[in-house]
Amino acid sequence: MMNFSLWWLALPVLVLPILWHRQKREQTRAAPLASARFLPKAEPKQLRVWRWNDVVLLLLRCLLLLALIALLADPVLPWRGDSVLVLPGTPQAVVGRLQREAGFTGAQRIMLPGVDAIAWLHAHEREFKPESRLLVLGDAAMPSTPPRFRHAVQWRADTAQPAPVEHHVAVFSARADDWRRLFAAASPAWRIVVDAQPGPRTELVVWDRLEAPPGTLRAPLWWASDARVFPELTQAAQVDGLRVAARARGRVWAPAQAQDASPLHDADAARVLFAAWQRLQLGPQAYPMPVHATAADPNAPAGPASGALHAFLATLLAVLFALERMLTHARRR
Amino acid sequence: MPMLDSAALVAHTGKLDLVIRHVLAGLGQGIHAGRERGAGVEFSEYRAYAPGDEWRRVDWKLAGRTDRYYVREAERDSHVAVWLVLDATASMIEPSRSIDGLTKLHYARVLLACVAALAQRQGDAFGLVVCNGERAHFTPAARGPRQLQRVLARLNATEPGGQLPGADVLRASLHFAQAPSVVCVASDFLDWPSALSESMLRLRTMRHDVRALCLHTAAEDEASFDPSFAYRDPEQANTVFRFGRDVRDAYVRTRVAHFETVLRDCRAHDVPWLAARIEQAPGEVLRAWMRRHMAGARAA
Repeated sequence: MMNFSLWWLALPVLVLPILWHRQKREQTRAAPLASARFLPKAEPKQLRVWRWNDVVLLLLRCLLLLALIALLADPVLPWRGDSVLVLPGTPQAVVGRLQREAGFTGAQRIMLPGVDAIAWLHAHEREFKPESRLLVLGDAAMPSTPPRFRHAVQWRADTAQPAPVEHHVAVFSARADDWRRLFAAASPAWRIVVDAQPGPRTELVVWDRLEAPPGTLRAPLWWASDARVFPELTQAAQVDGLRVAARARGRVWAPAQAQDASPLHDADAARVLFAAWQRLQLGPQAYPMPVHATAADPNAPAGPASGALHAFLATLLAVLFALERMLTHARRR
Repeated sequence: MPMLDSAALVAHTGKLDLVIRHVLAGLGQGIHAGRERGAGVEFSEYRAYAPGDEWRRVDWKLAGRTDRYYVREAERDSHVAVWLVLDATASMIEPSRSIDGLTKLHYARVLLACVAALAQRQGDAFGLVVCNGERAHFTPAARGPRQLQRVLARLNATEPGGQLPGADVLRASLHFAQAPSVVCVASDFLDWPSALSESMLRLRTMRHDVRALCLHTAAEDEASFDPSFAYRDPEQANTVFRFGRDVRDAYVRTRVAHFETVLRDCRAHDVPWLAARIEQAPGEVLRAWMRRHMAGARAA
């Protein structure tokens, strides 16, 4: 019932051109006859009245109205069969392998425009035939509640771990070797490269000195061992045990309490350091949905109309309108 | 076929005087009941020749002396004035369904023009009343070739349309009680009784000589119309009528009854009545119309 547009209720408008064409006929077909008064007064035959003139024009006008109503009602025709929905960033080889594994060889491949496969599927679900099966390939974002669809949907992601990303760090400290050891210990979850000199790829500057840093040094993130070196940190609000301040040279954070243990000597403090880095710069880590199948749910809400036929119907409307005008003009001649 | 020739000539010639000459050429002399022959008995005056004057009335001796044409005008007192009444209502547009372009109005126009020419030849005064568009257009009676041109021009310019004028208008227009008159009425007489019929019968009771010419078409007489059309009365536009084999008998019955009423009324008032088809040759109809009058006059 959700598929039904209220615009279809305007279909009785099609009766209007039919009536107009009929009446024109009735008015024009009476020849003058002086002695008509001797004829018995009789209504003209209904049969003749109901014969329309200009059938082509009548048809065009009906089609024109129909196209207009259809354009407003925005119908969706189910035309897609078994399909494989590929999320962006999925390698071609992986797509082929996963498609074979799921038994979808020969199915139509659709490259999704964004990572939100569930939203796209909701918007376009009415385009799929009722019996078609769907397979979503790639790292789909996991929703908080299980999605509901009218079609059976399989989800598959590439389970092979991606190569860890390198993070470049510049250390300004008297205890540079201790810092190197600390970062080496974080492997393999983190691949950290400690640069001798900060460069454009440097993501984090560890400032373990008591003097102020030079003004030319810039990096997205700074870790300060002593908050007093950065005067803006002393005014910064304390959030979740961290003091964070945004500066022109980058964001600076320091342990909330000056007497906290140094991460070089305390495992907990080191863990806090990595967690804060993760949170401040990298954001939460994506968690690929495991192999999963969503059963077809006939009661699932249908998405909004997609406007897939919009361009076609608009073109049809323009063409019909032009034809109707031309024919009317030609008929007046 | 001379008959078709004449009728087709009526349909296709715009020049009434040509048609008159053609019609009257076959008519011969002697059917007219004028008492005075020639161009007058008592000489009264000369006047300059005008186009349309008969050549035999030109005074040739005077022409020899003065090198100009003069016409002898005679002192005459004709007692008879001829009144031509033309019904030019919308119903008179009814065309002949066999001859293209011929209508009742064309035909009536030609016949009245012929009567006017006869009257002019005879030296009678003649006038014209055209009834159309709820009005009566009145041309006062006079004599002479110029009056003939005037009347012909008036007949030519007549545009059909509308209905007959009311009884008051007609009574005011057909108001000529003094001289004895001949009133020639050409109409289809589909409206009867009407203001026109009342006027005719009233004039007859005033002892004027009223002659009616009723025009039909062959299709009307034979009741043969195209059944694929719907029809409407040109004087009542709103109603639609249908013709078919099933209503043909009713049509014939009603029409015959109507014209029987007309004929009965005319007989009761001693009005000569001639029914003619517009497909007939105008010369024959004119002769019959005038003879009918002669017969009526003799009977009276």
